[in-house]
Amino acid sequence: MEAPPVTMMPVTGGTINMMEYLLQGSVLDHSLESLIHRLRGLCDNMEPETFLDHEMVFLLKGQQASPFVLRARRSMDKPGAPWHLRYLGQPEMGDKNRHALVRNCVDIATSENLTDFLMEMGFRMDHEFVAKGHLFRKGIMKIMVYKIFRILVPGNTESTEALSLSYLVELSVVAAAGQDMVSDDMRNFAEQLKPLVHLEKIDPKRLM
Amino acid sequence: MQPSSVCVILTPVWVTNLFLLMQREEKQLEASLDALLSQVADLKNSLGGFIYKLENEYDRLTWPSVLDSFALLSGQLNTLNKVLKHEKTPLFRNQVIIPLVLSPDRDEDLMRQTEGRVPVFSHEVVPDHLRTKPDPEVEEQEKQLTTDAARIGADAAQKQIQSLNKMCSNLLEKISKEERESESGGLRPNKQTFNPADTNALVAAVAFGKGLSNWRPSGSSGPSQPGQPGAGTILAGASGLQQVQMTGAPSQQQPMLSGVQMAQAGQPGKMPSGIKTNIKSASMHPYQR
Repeated sequence: MEAPPVTMMPVTGGTINMMEYLLQGSVLDHSLESLIHRLRGLCDNMEPETFLDHEMVFLLKGQQASPFVLRARRSMDKPGAPWHLRYLGQPEMGDKNRHALVRNCVDIATSENLTDFLMEMGFRMDHEFVAKGHLFRKGIMKIMVYKIFRILVPGNTESTEALSLSYLVELSVVAAAGQDMVSDDMRNFAEQLKPLVHLEKIDPKRLM
Repeated sequence: MQPSSVCVILTPVWVTNLFLLMQREEKQLEASLDALLSQVADLKNSLGGFIYKLENEYDRLTWPSVLDSFALLSGQLNTLNKVLKHEKTPLFRNQVIIPLVLSPDRDEDLMRQTEGRVPVFSHEVVPDHLRTKPDPEVEEQEKQLTTDAARIGADAAQKQIQSLNKMCSNLLEKISKEERESESGGLRPNKQTFNPADTNALVAAVAFGKGLSNWRPSGSSGPSQPGQPGAGTILAGASGLQQVQMTGAPSQQQPMLSGVQMAQAGQPGKMPSGIKTNIKSASMHPYQR
């Protein structure tokens, strides 16, 4: 299921390929307050937004070696919000100078029977977790600071346990393919969060 | 048939173009001035907040809090710079501000607009506020410095620049070495705000579920929960596969564990191979529980 890098493919109609540019880092629990304080100053002025989401990752194993992964996310504290289905492609390994991790991204809002639908299609849930944290925005950049909770009893989102003593910090932008100046803006923003957090592009394959 | 008389006003094309251009420029100027005004207002507010903090809370002030304020100011200056450099902003250098009326009387409008800071638009106020060049003494000093610099000559100047760069980089190296050594010695005065190992663990968890579902609590009796009729107590590797296949219609209730439990060894990479053995062993549906 490996596709060639999306930015090299000619645009022959259809939807615009959106890419997600991503920088990640983490912050220890005791430094969370300083980070939130700084983000509130740096980011767009709006009410501080917290979120509590339950994310389930579904795999479809076909004949190919690597399974097809879809992520379904639902909000646990905002009733009535649609479910969010997301496809994330492999990170593009083209440019060493690019400062952010770039991968193809497709986002869809769905109704609540998403899990049943995916099961019928043959997907199986691989893992799930609960994410609880804060959301900030600056222009098109989205900054999320959240804690990952492991679900102890599958299907029961009440019994959770924190995965580590840190919060994950993600700076992401969803933009059309080929806009590399976005990653420069992201790097400049990341500079302003040092030395509290080091946001960098982390290749998940290295951590397997 | 009488020809109807038509009166047409002819203006040369370039005049209308010029007019439109000027209109556009004016609009651009206004828009960029507005943007600049809002940025400067933000900057002023954060400066004011910082000064208040320094004056009133100095005994409780911590270094991270001061750093925060500095970072905030630096961020706002950055955005200000970006607004100024934006291609849509006209060159402000080409605009000239001329005071039209100077009077020693209080001006209420001006008071309101400057929040009480400038009560009078008079001869004392204008030279400071509309200043475009530095003081004569400062200008003299600057001229002196530029003539000195020109006198040295290009080669010598280049050598001086290189030696300065080298000294700076040496200093930076020394500082970072010192920092690294004290860190490993545990003498670090500031506490770490992030843990790189945690970063990797969290990224791995989000990217492919490392540490999330393959983990089993040691004390409990395995993942036996309601809604998992019969397939609950699977703990071993491949042998568990046989138990996983339930007779009857494959139920879709808690399917997430069927793929996961095979990898009890805790290595997500082994899962695809586990599924393949499943397919070979019996039923047509590879995901039966």
